[in-house]
This record gives sequence, structure tokens and C-alpha cells, in this order.
Amino acid sequence: MVTPLLSLTGVEKVWPNGTVALRGVDLTVQAGRVHGLLGANGAGKSTLIKILAGAIPPTGGAVSWRGEPVRWTNPRSARGAGVATIYQHIPLVPTLSVAENMLLEQRRGWRGDRAGRARAAAVARMLGDPFDLDAIVGDLPIGTRQMVAIAQGLMSDPALLIMDEPTASLAGHEREQVYGTIRRLTDEGRAVLFVSHFLDEIVALTDEVTVLRDGRAVLHAETATLDEAAIAAAIAGRSVAALERAESERRTGAPLLELRDLASPGKLAPASFAVAKGEIVGVAGMLGAGRSELLHAIFGADPAAEGLVSLGGDPVGRTPPEAVAAGIALVPEDRAAQGFVPGMTIAENLALPRTGTLIARAAEDAAARAAIDRLAIKAPGPDALVSELSGGNAQKVVIAKWLTPETRVLLLDEPTAGIDIGARTDILRLIRALADDGLAVVLVSSEFEELIAVADRILVMRDGAVVAEVDPAAIDEAGLIQLASGTHTDTGIAA
Amino acid sequence: MNRTTDWRQIFGLREAGVYYALLILLALLAAIAQSHGLPNYLSAQNLGNIAYQASLVGIMGVAMTVMLITGAFDLSVASVAALAAAVLIGLAPGIGFPLAALAAITTAIGIGIVNGVIVQFVGINAFIVTLGTLTAVRGLVLVLTDGRSLMVERPEVLQQMLAFESTRVPLFWPLLAIAAALLVLAALKRRPLPGLGGVVIAALALLAGRGFAVAAPVVYLALFTAIVWAVLRFTVVGRRVYAVGGNAEAARLSGISVHAYKIGAFILSSAAAGFAGVLFGCRLGAINPTALQGAELTVIAAAILGGTSLLGGAGSVVKTVVGALLLFTLTNGFNVLNLGASYQGLIEGIVVIAAAAIYTVGGKRGARKAAA
Repeated sequence: MVTPLLSLTGVEKVWPNGTVALRGVDLTVQAGRVHGLLGANGAGKSTLIKILAGAIPPTGGAVSWRGEPVRWTNPRSARGAGVATIYQHIPLVPTLSVAENMLLEQRRGWRGDRAGRARAAAVARMLGDPFDLDAIVGDLPIGTRQMVAIAQGLMSDPALLIMDEPTASLAGHEREQVYGTIRRLTDEGRAVLFVSHFLDEIVALTDEVTVLRDGRAVLHAETATLDEAAIAAAIAGRSVAALERAESERRTGAPLLELRDLASPGKLAPASFAVAKGEIVGVAGMLGAGRSELLHAIFGADPAAEGLVSLGGDPVGRTPPEAVAAGIALVPEDRAAQGFVPGMTIAENLALPRTGTLIARAAEDAAARAAIDRLAIKAPGPDALVSELSGGNAQKVVIAKWLTPETRVLLLDEPTAGIDIGARTDILRLIRALADDGLAVVLVSSEFEELIAVADRILVMRDGAVVAEVDPAAIDEAGLIQLASGTHTDTGIAA
Repeated sequence: MNRTTDWRQIFGLREAGVYYALLILLALLAAIAQSHGLPNYLSAQNLGNIAYQASLVGIMGVAMTVMLITGAFDLSVASVAALAAAVLIGLAPGIGFPLAALAAITTAIGIGIVNGVIVQFVGINAFIVTLGTLTAVRGLVLVLTDGRSLMVERPEVLQQMLAFESTRVPLFWPLLAIAAALLVLAALKRRPLPGLGGVVIAALALLAGRGFAVAAPVVYLALFTAIVWAVLRFTVVGRRVYAVGGNAEAARLSGISVHAYKIGAFILSSAAAGFAGVLFGCRLGAINPTALQGAELTVIAAAILGGTSLLGGAGSVVKTVVGALLLFTLTNGFNVLNLGASYQGLIEGIVVIAAAAIYTVGGKRGARKAAA
């Protein structure tokens, strides 16, 4: 057997406060292969990546690199050995140029150094020149920034490239670019440890897979022997009750939310449609297709928006306070940046939309307890800070904020993004239950199978315009991807 | 209510540090005074005097704290206060004290609206905008006063102004009444903290004696602090102030009018500065064009000593007032004990940085514990 490039045996990590993040993980990475690493939120992926990057030391177990035991104590020693890590939130300096970002690690010499620039140019050429070296990083679209981050990682000529969710924020063709790069790197004999939430790309891209759950590696197998269902089951730890379309024909009531020529210059082409009481309208589209912009325009959060939004026949004012007063609620896309106030407790966050004069502590605590029970939020109590909850539980708080008798329309922007499968199923069930209770729901999601499973109707958006309306019973995921990307050749990640 | 009281947090360095600092400083100064054979430093009269000296900065500091909680910044307060004083002194002989005071505060509010609208709707950083108004408004004061000191020369108007500023308010019975109210509240709600406060206030009142009285500005400061504290603590408006500073986008998407709150904070800050300016003008019955120069930094220092974060979303007005008292106790101590005034700035600066360090380090430790 060939000596593996990297092998971990029984790696443990116990935080000083006693929290156990890793309970003995075995992992081997071979040169020239793509190794997929999966796990629910909190399973220990990030901790493992940080240990490999040298950012934190393990508290037990052994790491060996090219057959030799090593103990990396800081990121520079790991990089020196040949491990490059690309984190999910791309740590680039937005005000510097691409070339300067790639050369950030350079430790001496002049800024305009010709040799450095030549090395940067060589790496860029290897990636197929996806960017201009002199462009300012802050001006680049997010997909290109991801390429810059990869290029930055490649500057140290690593033998192992660790990528944490590199495609999470990318659109279809940008993902394709990343996949192509990964294949080229492994062809050169480099190894890639690829962390992702997307089962389809794991199956299509990786050679072998390790699944973490509760700090242990629970599955390690050649990808060819697995299918998505098997991986999903390993992640969840139980067979996932696949969310199937409701059998019975759902009854929907009279039109409640109506849009007439709602548009925003440069972002949203005039859109007109209605959503009935009890109806779930799905909105499909690629990143940048104008889905969030549509929701923000409905909610009055886009001051440039024009057109008419009415609720039960009455026009709704064009500011968020007026929309909230009318009964429209928005669960925004970016939980941490837009959804909750981190320094506030669950009870306080839930009460944010409340108006009135005095704070009713007892009533708010009771409401928070009720929400914790109803949505099965894992939290010590109403006084817990939302910033201390996991992604799925924080998302439940953001949704629960709007579960008041006043809410009549619920606008959901990617409510399941970055959430593990268990919580994801909870949230989809909740959405369905809310619609059954008579809410009108508009659901934006990049997970097209979710839309097909829960929506009564799907609107497809492209380049800021609603381009099609389809019946979810009559379309499959591939069909939706084709409609949303607008070509019949670009079918996502078929390798 | 089964909300538990976390005593270790309430009396921890991060939560209560500024109170400890004030008590330690007072004890230290009292000991030094004792050993130098000076009159009792902790006399009711001297403590009332410190509160009086701190009152203007305290009033501006309370509003500045609200400003900082919303995540913005106001450097222009001292200039605005000087402008208000100049307007008061300039107009009072003509239109009488009440109308002149109204005009002064209205002028101040006007500056607040200008600050807020430029920050919110043009989108320039509050630091830059209020640095601009600091300079421009000071310039306006120079223009209005023609670079000279102004004085009120009509004796009856001057009398009114002095009455507004220098009347001494007897506090013995009011303090006892407040203490009794707190004790009743503690007994009714079964919450120990108000009871503790009641006992402390009653003890202070009894120690100070029946003749205890303070100058009017101390009472204005106490009332203003109490009102702002109650609004922040008990009302939805208060929670929304914290939400706007804690995460403006989340607040906006929860239907909170972020613009209104942020501009409101600028208006409150300038109105408080205007009121402080009126008190300042009344105190001297005169204004010189460089009055209060640099006071904005003392105001911000008081808020920082009180643990208010410059990042927004956190802060306490009561602790800001204690921070102001701490700074003026230092000044007062240096003067009364004749401890070499040249060291004063050095010591004050070190105190502010040390306080910020305690809050930052203590805050990190707290966050780590919370994550467990």
C-alpha cells in the first residue's frame, strides 16, 4: 500500500471549557484524489479543518504527513509543509488587487516585485486565467473571488488543498469553474479535501468520502460505492424521512397577496402575480436571478421599487414598517447579517417586530417558551443569546419571530441554507403547516427538490425577471435547473 | 417570573467595574485628605459639588450613550452647547430668559437634524460629519459673538437665569421617599436588587443629614438619566434602540424604521447639548467663544468608562453618569488636594484606557464562558 499523503488516527479535540468537538477521527488522504468531507452543522468539520490548517492544536491522536508524524502549531508551519486551506468566508483584502492578495504571504521584498508577479501570473495561467491580476478584489463578483482565494492557496505550491464549502455561494457556471480547477489539480497529483453540503456535487466530484457525525468519522468509502441517499443517511444518523409531496390536493383560498408591475430599476423586471391564502409559491432561480430582490421589493425594503403590492385588495405601503403592519413578514437570506440581533436573547429577538409602548417581559418569555416548544428549538431557554445557537436553531428563531396572529404573508429567502438535514426537514414541515393554517407563503430556495416537494406552484426567475411558471408535480429537478439557467446544455455539474 | 439573578455577573468587574473604581477613588482621596489634615473629603457638600461639576458632561453623556448604542457617534456636542449658550446670552436681554432658552435648544436641535440627515441619507460616516459640524458650529459661535465675550446685563433676566441654574434643591426627604419606594418595589416583586439600592440611598441620605441640598443641574441630570434609563429598559422604543445598533439590517427587516431611530439619536444628542449649553450660559451669565472647547472628548470618555461599546448595541446610561462622576472626582481631587495639576491629563488618559482594557478583556472572557 502506498503511504498516504496525510493520515489522522484517533484525533481528538476537547475545548478548555470541556466541550468535545472531535472524539477520535481517522482520516486518510491520498495524493491525486478528491476526498469529500461531510457532516451536519456541529459534526466537527470546521474543527478538523482548523487542526489540519495548523490553526488549533489537537488534544489527542496523531497526524502524519507523508508517513512522518507531525505536530503543526501554527498555520505557517502547515503551509510550509504543503497544506493550503481555503476557508468558506473568503479572507481576502477587498481594497487590494488580485496579485497583491495572492502575494499576501510574501514576507520580504518590494510591492512591485517582478518575480512575485510572475509567480502569480503562472498560477493564474494554470487556473485558466479566470481574472485580471490588477483588478481590485472588492470589485469582483463572488465567484471570481473564490477563484482568487484558490489561486492564493496555490501560491505556496501545496500538496494538499483543503476547501471548505467552496461552492456554497456560487452560481452554476461558477461552480463548474471550481470543479474544473479541482480536476486539474488532482491530475497534477495534488490531493483535495473537499467539504460540502451539496450531496450531488460530492457524488459527482469526489473519489472517496468521509462523513463526520458528533465528532466521529461514521462512514468512509469509495464514492463509487455510494449514492446520495446512503450519504444523507450517514450524515443524519437515521434514514431521512424524504419529504414527499403531499398526497391530497391542497386547498387554497382566495387570492391574498397581489403584485402588479412590481419592479426595481436594474434589479427586477416588472412582475405581476398573486398568492392565495394557504398557498405556497416557490421561486426558483440561480444566484443573482433577482429572487431576493423580488422579496425585498414586496416587503418594501427596496426604496427604489415601483409598482403595486396589495393584500386582500388593500394597497400596502412601500416601507418595511407598513408591510409589517399589514401582515407581511420576511425571513431574510443571511441569518447572521439580516435575521437576528446577536447580542439579544431569543425572547428579545422574537419580540423585535412587536409594537406598543411598554415591554411585557412575562408575556414575551411565555411566547419564547411556546416558540421553543413548537419549533423544537434546541436552546437552554428564552434567555439564551441567539448568537450561541447553531445555524438551524437560529433560523427557527428568525422564522418564529413572525409567527404571530398578525402575519398573513410569509416571505422566505433560502430558509434552509447552511442547515443540516434534520433541521431542514423540520423547517419544510413547518412551512407546510403554516400554509395549512392559512398563511400565503412565497418560498425562495436554491434546493430545487425542496421547492418541488413543498410548493403548490413554482415561478422561475432569470436575470431579474419571472420567466416561467410551472406545476411542481409535472417537473423534476433537472427540468427546473434547465429552466433557471436558460440553456439545455448547461445542466449543472454533469462531469 | 423564574428569572434567576446572576449575582456573579451583576457584581463582576465588567458589569460593576465603574462603581468599584469610583468607590476606590473616593476612599483613596478621603485617606489622602485625612493624612494631610484637610477637611473631610467625603462631606455631603464636597460630594454634591462633584456632582454639580459633572452635571453638564453627564447630561451630554447620557444622550451620547444613546447615540453610541445606535451605533453612531457625535463629536459636535461641545460646539453645539457653546452655540446654544451664545444664542441664549445673545437673545435673553431682548426676549427674556424662557424664550431665549427655547430658541437655544431649538437651534441645537436644528444642528442635530442636519447631522442626522447627512449621516443617514447622504451616507457619510458620523465621525466625519460631526467632526465637520464641530468645527463649523464653533466657527458660527465666533461669528455670533464676534470673537468677544458676551454678557447679559439686564439684572432681572440675569436673576432668572441664576435661579434656573443655581437654586439649591433640598434632597433629604426626596431621597428617603425614593429609598422607600424601592424597598416597597423589592418587597412586592421579590427582587433583591432594588431593595439593595433602596438601602444604599437611605443610608446616604441619613449620612448626609437633613440639610442636604444640591444645585439644580444635579437634579436635572438625575431626572434626565432616570427618564432615559426607563425608556431604554422598559419600553419597546428602548429595545429598538439596542436592535438598531446591534444589527441595523435585521432591525430594518423586522419593520423597525432605522432612519428614524438613528436621526432621533442625533436630535436627542444635540437637544441635550443645547440644554447643557443653556445651563452653562446661566451659570456665568456670559459666554466666551472658546467655552466648552474639548468637552466632547470628556463626554465620550465618560461613556467609555461606563462600558458603552463604540460598536453599538450595548451601553448603560447610569454607568455613563458614574463614569462622568469618576472623571470629575479625579479633577476635583487634584484641585482640592493640590496634587499637581500637571499630572491630571496623564492620569485621566490612563484611567480611560485601563477601563476600556478591562471591558474588552472581561468581555472576551464572558463570551468564551457563554459559548460553553
